[in-house]
Amino acid sequence: MSTATSTATSAPTSPAPLTGAETLVETLKRVGVEHIFGLPGGCILPLYDALYETPGLRHILVRHEQGAGHAAQGYAAATGKVGVCMATSGPGATNLVTPLADANMDSIPIVAITANVPSAAMGSDAFQEADIRSITMPVTKHSFLVTDPNQIEATIASAFHLAASGRPGPVLVDVSKDALTALVTGDAPLQLALPGYHPRTTAAPEAVSDAVDLMLKAQRPVLYVGGGTVRSGAHQEVLEFAEITGIPVVTTLMARGAFPDSHPQHMGMPGMHGTVTAVAALQRSDLIISLGARFDDRVTGARDSFAPHAQVIHADIDPAEIGKNRVTAVGLVGDAKETIRQLVNEFAARKAAGETYDYSDFVERCNIMRERYPLGFDEPEDGSLSPQYVIQRLGEIVGSEAIYTSGVGQHQMWASQFIKYEQPNKWINSGGLGTMGYAVPAAMGAKVACPDDVVWAVDGDGCFQMTNQELATCAVEGIPIKVAIINNAALGMVRQWQTLFYSERYSSSQLPSMQVPDFVTLAEAYGCVGLRCDNPEDVDATIARAMEINDRPVVVDFRVHQDAMVWPMVPAGTSNDAIQYARDLAPNFGDDE
Amino acid sequence: MSRHALSVLVENNPGVLARVSVLFARRSFNIDHLVVGPTEDPKVSRMTIVINVDSEQLHKVTSQLDKLIEVIHIEELDDATAIREKLWVINDNGPRPVGAMANSWA
Ligand SMILES: Cc1ncc(C[n+]2csc(CCOP(=O)(O)OP(=O)(O)O)c2C)c(N)n1
Repeated sequence: MSTATSTATSAPTSPAPLTGAETLVETLKRVGVEHIFGLPGGCILPLYDALYETPGLRHILVRHEQGAGHAAQGYAAATGKVGVCMATSGPGATNLVTPLADANMDSIPIVAITANVPSAAMGSDAFQEADIRSITMPVTKHSFLVTDPNQIEATIASAFHLAASGRPGPVLVDVSKDALTALVTGDAPLQLALPGYHPRTTAAPEAVSDAVDLMLKAQRPVLYVGGGTVRSGAHQEVLEFAEITGIPVVTTLMARGAFPDSHPQHMGMPGMHGTVTAVAALQRSDLIISLGARFDDRVTGARDSFAPHAQVIHADIDPAEIGKNRVTAVGLVGDAKETIRQLVNEFAARKAAGETYDYSDFVERCNIMRERYPLGFDEPEDGSLSPQYVIQRLGEIVGSEAIYTSGVGQHQMWASQFIKYEQPNKWINSGGLGTMGYAVPAAMGAKVACPDDVVWAVDGDGCFQMTNQELATCAVEGIPIKVAIINNAALGMVRQWQTLFYSERYSSSQLPSMQVPDFVTLAEAYGCVGLRCDNPEDVDATIARAMEINDRPVVVDFRVHQDAMVWPMVPAGTSNDAIQYARDLAPNFGDDE
Repeated sequence: MSRHALSVLVENNPGVLARVSVLFARRSFNIDHLVVGPTEDPKVSRMTIVINVDSEQLHKVTSQLDKLIEVIHIEELDDATAIREKLWVINDNGPRPVGAMANSWA
């Protein structure tokens, strides 16, 4: 195999031309890629041949392409670097669709590289042909098909630029097999022109000043902090903005950790399973300052009754978000870090110039609510293990330095509620798409990106069975993640809805996960350590034992009470005003006090 | 609801038409009329799209269109109805009774 360096030294006149595949590998190195998650097949063999023993590039062979995609997401979410996954044509490529859609919803920068059948065979229903460029159009930031080897370098470099800049997101590059094997000739461009792509990073100064006008007039403002602040690394700016203004803060599911949970201005998470205080603060607000959030239906509840008296300042890097779900008084299009910095400066200047404001009544009311309605849970009467207790102890013992990933369901909500997050990029979950099976492969990706950090996957017994095959990858590749299965022998979140809204008719939501599979022996079969805990007294010791093991992945089967429910809850499709603190318990918003 | 004509400059790449129509389909916007043609620049095509939407929907669809990487420029044209009639002449497939075209050749 010839590489750029060896040919450069051996050919004094002009370097021997590279194949498309070799060029692709060189381009990955040029843009700074160090890790790739993937699985080969017929069409992508030329690329895997070029990758073979390439110094500086580690390829991690997964057991399923979906795992490669979520691992790339976890890698990107833990570091902000672009995650990379690779798959062959046809089924390999279609197995990446779920992670691509997931990354698109949660604005995670990943690049997926797939190979397709030779260009002459495209459109002939050739073996393992799938038009993955078209299939992924609605679920990616962009998707490319390359059939000309001279376009490979420019397309790959542009894909990384697109994924990481503006609103981050997934980009797919599909390359025909013949483009991989052909030689790159002539003057191949280094970057595509992209004449239609000009992300705006700095908000208009007039809009910033209009925003501060509104803030100074408001009496009940709320900082509604979303995942965009995490992607843009704006946590320091969020903290300064909150402290200079004194405004109460809520952090969405995607923004847990963007503002410290321990901060006195933090009112918790808004939304369907948010805190009563966060939900009430938004409902009663007269000015919502949205920072990298998108008024998702899980936050707003029924839209026509969401925060009825609030005007909105909406800061987002994506102009299409502004006014999409909620009428906006002032739109600030720009990168969150820059925009919040502009807001801090403007607010400070106006304050210094003697302008006044008063949020004290509202702040006091929020503080009273927070005292009155803390997050909590009831212990099961039969002395069995409560899932919230396990997750709470995990957070307390492991601490807020560690990275936590999760699947989707009750355990996800409890992990967002009962683990305390103090830093960004430590809570990694599938928010927008809600993909069961996210936790284990995302933890694998995060651990590869941050080998010195403790990485825990908090998973459900249902979710775990969707992607647990990546434990084999973790064991073989030396990626010692830790998995806490919150085993309630049910598709718990589905069961909760059936309990509340379908007269306890548990249609297809029970799982025999206390018998089949046996998670402990399953873990051991995968080369991991398997532990089990079904008693509150043993929780701490079990977590401590798991923390001692660093040479292998650990899986803990926490057997928990089945009937535990996630509270508070705003029933789907109803107004946020209908939030229940616990079953049939409506909180008192204190309006008539 | 009213008729709007958009002139959209796009990169002349294979797949662009699919990308634009997927976007309209996803939001259940019906395209009244669509013409794609070349411009002086061989790398750029012009799509003329006539849709029947209210102004809020129009704003949403143009901002989503603008997000497409291959969309270079979007402009709303003045007289949507006149443009639509002209497009009918170009396409010659307007809502006429079957046989009308054949008869007009007689
Ligand atoms: C791929 C996928 N299929 C189905 C669902 C619907 N769903 C949401 S939560 C859930 C139950 C998850 O069960 P489990 O992993 O055991 O977690 P628990 O809710 O019990 O904590 C299901 C089926 C989903 N989110 N993703």
